[in-house]
Amino acid sequence: MKLEELRKIRERAEAEMRLRTGQARVKIVVGMGTSGIAAGARQVLRAILEEVGQRNLRDVLVTQTGEKGLAAKEPLVEVHEPGRITVYGDVDEATARRIVAEHVVNGRILEDHLVELREVPT
Amino acid sequence: MVEDLAFHLADLVENALRAGARQVDVELAKEGGELLLRVEDDGVGMEEEVVRQATDPFFTTKPGRRVGLGLAFLRQTAEELGGSLLIRSAPGKGTCVQARIPWDHPDRPPLGDLVATLLPLLATSSVEFRLLFRDDRYTWSLDTRELRTALGAVPLADPEVLSFLEREMRQALEALGWKEEG
Repeated sequence: MKLEELRKIRERAEAEMRLRTGQARVKIVVGMGTSGIAAGARQVLRAILEEVGQRNLRDVLVTQTGEKGLAAKEPLVEVHEPGRITVYGDVDEATARRIVAEHVVNGRILEDHLVELREVPT
Repeated sequence: MVEDLAFHLADLVENALRAGARQVDVELAKEGGELLLRVEDDGVGMEEEVVRQATDPFFTTKPGRRVGLGLAFLRQTAEELGGSLLIRSAPGKGTCVQARIPWDHPDRPPLGDLVATLLPLLATSSVEFRLLFRDDRYTWSLDTRELRTALGAVPLADPEVLSFLEREMRQALEALGWKEEG
């Protein structure tokens, strides 16, 4: 492992983080529980990472979580932004890419896959 | 869908995460003509009775409808090809699943796309991973703790970090001669 290269990546990433004062603007959480995985959550996670990578969205943090209790709607994807959490259901690979392109980049909610829109205190 | 070995590995890793592991070791090795696949975790572990049932296709501890086929499939594959599946587990200590399959058996499942299967899981999890790929002459390893130390506040899922890790993993697979199966 070339740790020197990692240090350079860190320097670049930290410089960009300073520009936007440290916090990730958006967090995308993919539900990776058993039923989510059976329904294709692995492909969804991969598609989101690819889309975020291709667009070099460094202010977007992608993470995973376990069962969410909404098994009938899995795979579930949550988009966390300051003030609100948007929950999408029945997400496939194509929808996952749309979530990044339409919601995360352009701020438009995908009504056709919306499960819940929660306001949260900032 | 072909149940390639990358798929089995992801299945075992997800079992480990579900068991509440904080540390997961994943090893894939070519050793004395055999393919060794090992996933070890420090999760909740299983009682002896559960270990015995763990490869029964109609047994699952998971709530919901899915039957726990993962380990059953892997055992069946390994044993049909003259290999073995071993599960060691202790409540409160963790679980180790180890499969051995003759490398050159014509029916051995392909390795599959190890990079695309493992990297997303590992980069988006808060659990620490150690990844080890090796054969008799070459060893490649990755330790997420070391990566996090080197990266500070930069996440493993950062686009540039991910593409760096992907390159490193693909180079390692090439050095091992495992690339053409991807």
